[in-house]
Amino acid sequence: MLDLALAAFVLGFLALGLRRPFLWVLAYLYIDIVAPQKISYFLLASIPLSLIAFLAAFAGWLLADDKTDSRFTARQGMLLALLIYCGVTTLTADFPVEAADKWAWVWKALVFAIFLPLTLRTRLRIEAAVLFMVLAAGSIVITGAIKTLASGGGYGSLHFFVSDNTGLYEGSIISCVAVAVIPLVLWVARHGTVFPPDKRVRLFGYALVFACLLIPVGTQARTGLLCIGLLGVLSLRSVKNRFLYVGVIAALGLVVVPFLPSTYTERMSTIENHAGDQSASTRLAVWAWTIDYAKDHPLGGGFDSFRSNRLVIQTTDTATAGNTSAVAVNTVEDRGRAFHSSYFEMLGEQGWPGLALWLALQISGLWQMERLRARWGKRALAARGAPGAGPDAQWQAPLATALQQAQFVYLLGSAFVGIAYQPFILMLIGLQCGLWSYLRRIDSPDRAVIRPPLRLTPGAEPLMP
Amino acid sequence: MIDYFAIGLTHLLMALAAWRLVMRDDLDHEIKPDGDPKEPGGA
Repeated sequence: MLDLALAAFVLGFLALGLRRPFLWVLAYLYIDIVAPQKISYFLLASIPLSLIAFLAAFAGWLLADDKTDSRFTARQGMLLALLIYCGVTTLTADFPVEAADKWAWVWKALVFAIFLPLTLRTRLRIEAAVLFMVLAAGSIVITGAIKTLASGGGYGSLHFFVSDNTGLYEGSIISCVAVAVIPLVLWVARHGTVFPPDKRVRLFGYALVFACLLIPVGTQARTGLLCIGLLGVLSLRSVKNRFLYVGVIAALGLVVVPFLPSTYTERMSTIENHAGDQSASTRLAVWAWTIDYAKDHPLGGGFDSFRSNRLVIQTTDTATAGNTSAVAVNTVEDRGRAFHSSYFEMLGEQGWPGLALWLALQISGLWQMERLRARWGKRALAARGAPGAGPDAQWQAPLATALQQAQFVYLLGSAFVGIAYQPFILMLIGLQCGLWSYLRRIDSPDRAVIRPPLRLTPGAEPLMP
Repeated sequence: MIDYFAIGLTHLLMALAAWRLVMRDDLDHEIKPDGDPKEPGGA
């Protein structure tokens, strides 16, 4: 039954693309995030859905879409350089077979991130891409949140539709992404035009935000808690009434903490005292190993270069009874541990040039969104008083802010999780490029005429930008 | 059951969104830069 419904949905979606080829781009976003072919047991499982959607999206753009407004931005150039660099290190990788496996999905994610901005030519397309990313991620988040409410979750025990640890279906990754997506949920709920903000939209938006906040509780990934904290601090910049905001957050915290499962609070307390925690100690050991490795391999060892590591980890357990503390030192040997950090993943796999390129890509995104936020924030304030400006100058700065906050959250979360090429985040970067390019274009002084209007409302006068 | 609910709700919304997008002219061409009389910002 579920198989049939999913297949009907995907087919219907692809069929709608015949009328509007941009829908294929959205179909790819959906398929890449939700992976319906993995939820399905037989109908969709045997079809290379992702490939079909990508080819359709690309062909639709190439053959049917207007390309006069498509721009290739500097950050797409960085993505392209990263793609080529990763391709080269894959050829010379320490572990050619494993590296080829990872390359097989990384190149697709990078190519799509380069391609996506070319299609985001109108405001509605940008909104549609955000909306589909939110709803697609929402389908995973909602199920995780309800299961958390029902059972309390547990580290590694919260099951989504798909139990293989790939894509967004892995506990630490979905924790980070669920928190990163919160600003986008709020943006869609406030500035959407596909679902214009009314009571139902706001209710769904807030419920989805709540669900996103529950994911780190359910997966008990410590990264998620840090991400929530960061998002809370970042939001201080954009909220209107800061005192009220801080008060509400503090009150919510007091109400929520007693309801958290004890396994969760116990696990979170290890953030402070990580010496007894093998997972944290392993991370520190892997990171130290990676820095050493980069000295010998400054150009990187290709994907999965961590497989050659051998680690000796010492953990200390302190048991206190009365006035005496017994310290037990355990030595654990480990090998082939993953990087557990995107920064070290980049350094170990792509070397210093790869890390520099990746950091440049991330930092330029934060900077571009900051510029858009400043420029359009001023304009939004001015437009509020200007007759006829309407809500159309109001959505840009909040979207830039949301994309920046999402990226900040990701950059913190990725310090503890190896998600340097996470497709969802690369889509987010694609969105940033699209927004940057779109707003620069409509802002440029030579743009006197928008597009030759196809079906302009009678009597509506073209406005000069 | 929970899976069905989550998949059902989000897919219904995506289907509705896709349908609404197909119906809108401003998906492929910006009609004008400011103020869209067809799409009010609020309900």
